[in-house]
Amino acid sequence: MRLSSRLTTGGRINRDRPLRFRFNGKDYQGFDGDTLASALMANGVRVTARSFKYHRPRGIVGHGPEEPATLVQLEGEDAAGNCPATAVLLREGLSARSVNCWPSPGFDLGGVAQVLARFLPAGFYYKTFKWPGWHLFEPSIRKAAGLAPAPAQPPSSGHFEARRAHADVLIAGAGPAGLQAALEAGRAGKRVFLADEGSEAGGSLLNRTLSIGGRPALDWVANAVAELCGMENVTHLQNATVWAYREHNLLMVNERCPEQDSILERSWRVRAGEVVIATGASERAMVFGGNDRPGVMLAASVQAYVNRWGVAPGKRVALFTNNNSAYAVAADLAAAGLIVTAILDSRRHIPQAALDLVPDLPVHPATVAAGIFGHKRVRAVLAAPLSGDLAKWIRCDVLAHSGGWNPTVHLWSQSRSSLRYDEDLAAFLPDSAVQNCRAVGAAAGDLTLDRIVAGGADLPYAIEPLWRVDVPVQRGRAFLDIQNDVLVSDVHLALREGYANIEHVKRYTTGGMGVDQGKTGNINIIGTVAMQQGVPIEQIGTTTFRSPYTPVSFGAIAGLREGTVLLPYRHTPVTQWNVDNGAVMYEAGARWQRPGYFPKPGESLQEAVNRECRAVREAVGVYDGSPLGTFELKGRDVPRFLDFIYSNVMSSLKPGEGRYGLMLSDDGLILDDGVAFRLDDHRWLLSTSTGHADVVNQHMEKLLQTEFADWHAMITTVTSQWNNATICGPHARDVMQALGTDIDLSPQAFPFMSIRDGMVAGFPARVARVSFTGELSYEVNVAPRHLMALWNKVMEAGAPFAILPVGSESNHVLRVEKGFLSLGHEVDGTVDAYDLGMGWVMSKTKPDYLGKRAVMLRRAGGATRRELVGILPQDPNRQIPEGAPLTPAGCKEATEGLVTACVWSVVNQRWVGLALLENGHARQGETAHVRLQDEVIPVSITKPVFHDPDGTRLRS
Amino acid sequence: MRYDVTLQRCGLSAVFDLKGAADALRNWAGDMLPPLPDHPNTRTGGGGVELYHIGRKHWLARAPLAQEEVLEAQLKPDACPAEISIVRVSDTLSFFRITGPDASQVMAIACPLDLHETVFGADAVTYSELFGLKALVLRCEGGFECAVEQSFGDMVEDYLTLSCRQKPV
Repeated sequence: MRLSSRLTTGGRINRDRPLRFRFNGKDYQGFDGDTLASALMANGVRVTARSFKYHRPRGIVGHGPEEPATLVQLEGEDAAGNCPATAVLLREGLSARSVNCWPSPGFDLGGVAQVLARFLPAGFYYKTFKWPGWHLFEPSIRKAAGLAPAPAQPPSSGHFEARRAHADVLIAGAGPAGLQAALEAGRAGKRVFLADEGSEAGGSLLNRTLSIGGRPALDWVANAVAELCGMENVTHLQNATVWAYREHNLLMVNERCPEQDSILERSWRVRAGEVVIATGASERAMVFGGNDRPGVMLAASVQAYVNRWGVAPGKRVALFTNNNSAYAVAADLAAAGLIVTAILDSRRHIPQAALDLVPDLPVHPATVAAGIFGHKRVRAVLAAPLSGDLAKWIRCDVLAHSGGWNPTVHLWSQSRSSLRYDEDLAAFLPDSAVQNCRAVGAAAGDLTLDRIVAGGADLPYAIEPLWRVDVPVQRGRAFLDIQNDVLVSDVHLALREGYANIEHVKRYTTGGMGVDQGKTGNINIIGTVAMQQGVPIEQIGTTTFRSPYTPVSFGAIAGLREGTVLLPYRHTPVTQWNVDNGAVMYEAGARWQRPGYFPKPGESLQEAVNRECRAVREAVGVYDGSPLGTFELKGRDVPRFLDFIYSNVMSSLKPGEGRYGLMLSDDGLILDDGVAFRLDDHRWLLSTSTGHADVVNQHMEKLLQTEFADWHAMITTVTSQWNNATICGPHARDVMQALGTDIDLSPQAFPFMSIRDGMVAGFPARVARVSFTGELSYEVNVAPRHLMALWNKVMEAGAPFAILPVGSESNHVLRVEKGFLSLGHEVDGTVDAYDLGMGWVMSKTKPDYLGKRAVMLRRAGGATRRELVGILPQDPNRQIPEGAPLTPAGCKEATEGLVTACVWSVVNQRWVGLALLENGHARQGETAHVRLQDEVIPVSITKPVFHDPDGTRLRS
Repeated sequence: MRYDVTLQRCGLSAVFDLKGAADALRNWAGDMLPPLPDHPNTRTGGGGVELYHIGRKHWLARAPLAQEEVLEAQLKPDACPAEISIVRVSDTLSFFRITGPDASQVMAIACPLDLHETVFGADAVTYSELFGLKALVLRCEGGFECAVEQSFGDMVEDYLTLSCRQKPV
């Protein structure tokens, strides 16, 4: 296969290792060491993309992460979207496709947009497509201007990984300055983390032909890398981009192609004592008519393709510059055998050192490029003298341009450190550091090698800024932002419409957004705004630099968190038994996987729930109550502490007794409900709701550590020290006796709301008589190591009584029948105890407790409250969706409440519900109305209890 | 390439949560426990019992499970004075061991803490995170030992399996 543009020698590619790849369905060949961009260029592919908005033909512009034009979609195993072709390393079998064009970048039907371009200025969609609504047009506009879609399937093999690292010094960039900094820190014994986005160290030295100490600069690079490799205290990564700088010197690094074959990408979160920003500098574009045509490239990139990849982007190259660096490019191109047809320099006075590099090349001072001849390739450049003399076309097939250099200050700026504008360099430089970081090398404004490494030889840098070409003979559209198709005229339009602030200009025009984040064009936009407003550029300032510096795949950020561990989960010792016995499992608060219900074959959810509920109401059931939050409190001040955090009195409890209570928050709303037991004089056991266990723990610790630091109370979480099987139903006592226990189970010796220690079924147990179902219940707490054995014995002992395991769905039904509140249903962050008809839990005897004042103040206002009521659909077979609104007379008016729960009651043989309703307590006996989208359902308002209103059964 | 580690999900240990003033605890425990560590986030050991200083006036005593009953009988959690709190918490923690040449690499995936030997020495013990969960972390011979709340044990095993592409033994 002929590589039409590959030079016969040179380049850091392995010509002994050819690689096959596909691009837009065609087969090509490159070499190991190529990027997709260099390989395409070597194969003579010049039109590689279409532009985002106007679908103009585009070619490769840059050679690294700054590439604004050629984004590709990778296919197959590498599937990924919107990758700059310059950042895709070539490998055998790589397959890529241009984005935003159909059927190909060479012939794109979307190119019709170019004809309509004059009707599509910046922000056109803000002004048009307003009737009947923007959303009608949005999908098609987005499709027309879209980028690559996300891969439809996850990678077929391999996985992502995220890990942490800690370092004394993190160095971003392994160019000459970064390597120098790494050597110094490494030799000093510091823990060094050196990350560089390129495939090999050396930075810009890889692209140039410089020397250090009279020897090739790359020899110095090789020696530095070898020395670092020998240091155990140095971690050196290539293909690893430092893409974000967070607070407290936390930096994000995305490592592509880690050594492990199975790892697709690795994300590092590095905490560094010091950060050295050695990210180099990016060449910026010149702004002139036709500056987006295929073949118009950054000068340093043309140099890179020749020197690093052995590729000639063209045969006849013209250069357009305002600074010295393009002269070194011209010299290298000439040395490689390319014809340099002209150097157009906008400066009147060109430094002699620059001219000395190109003694035999035609230099045109005070001359600018004012247009490009050619549509899909450059054929000539229009050279326009600034003197006004006659412009002339100069033949070329590549125009290499250099608008100067921008220190890559993205990370510096992300650290919230400040920038200053440097007149001499015509660039923004790092100024004051906010975090412990420093910039070195080109990132700090030292743009030549002699200023970075002792013995480095380089051409002095000199520039006269030219933010855009502005000559009468200019032809064609001048783009400020190639990626987003932002024209000079777009910026002018934004300014005319009053968007004077640079951040507003960015948002109005989209200039500086997108994958490349304006690496080549941002400063030209700033300069254009400054020119138009007639103010110095430093008064305009910069837009905010945001992470990521270059695109990062979501997989790398997520790391291992996929599949089974996408969300955290918790198990009890009975979880597997539940699964084995056909339970439908799901999360039911605080990440606990719990059984929802236990359907028999062919049984529906409702049938299974009815069966389980009947077991509890008529016989006996058992459920795994292990997830309930449990805390042991110890200390002399625990009683008064509990009196403060609960709204009722707890200190009066005697050992062995328990009491239900509400915890309120500062604002008097219900934080949690639970039970407090007194174990002995100074030891207490608190049981909280499952979902709020952690919240309650934090609440108590916060109070003890801040408000009551001198109180003597210590909290130990024992949620997972005491797991329980809760046996509930009329035959619960029978099952307990069948299990065998040394605890006296008689109601007199072991009444409701008490706790006893003893042996149950041969296991040390702590048994509590509490009930969340309204039936006689024993909560048998044992160490988790014993729970499964206890559970089996419970099922065995309960078999004669037709015991059934009970899931969360049935628990919900049973508590609604009893009118027991549930956090997240009736307790929704707006109600207080009085609203729930639980005024009895608000102590009248305690002088104060948390939330009391807030409740009293709020209620003193006399505002209408939503109060808990029971509801009975007037059609007993009519289910009401939970959350359904209640409106006055069912009219389309503001709601007066909502249905918090509605269940099929096995004891009432009808649907029953609970609701929060305005003035509900006073409206019992009346009719309320549930308003659905297509229907109004009348319901009778009742007391919120449908079973055993006196609590006889649970106290039995 | 898999990480060169051995993963082990450990069985129960005898663990007691100790809180209160050091003097009061020392007075109650006498020589039943090793000397209290001098510095926070360090540990001492003796007589088969390790003592972890994990917070202000807060320690964990850990021993092989076989010693649980003996320790309980000696420490008398139910009878200790009001000034201190002793609670058996053996079942609340699931311990894992990650040992082998790449143990620190696996820990770098699991834990945000700087576990470099110069920072996290042989006697170091602390609460940190393991896969986003609160976790006790300490060094053991050839690697690290970690403990999470018992109910998260299966999930951490799942995570470790994914990290290393091998199941804990």
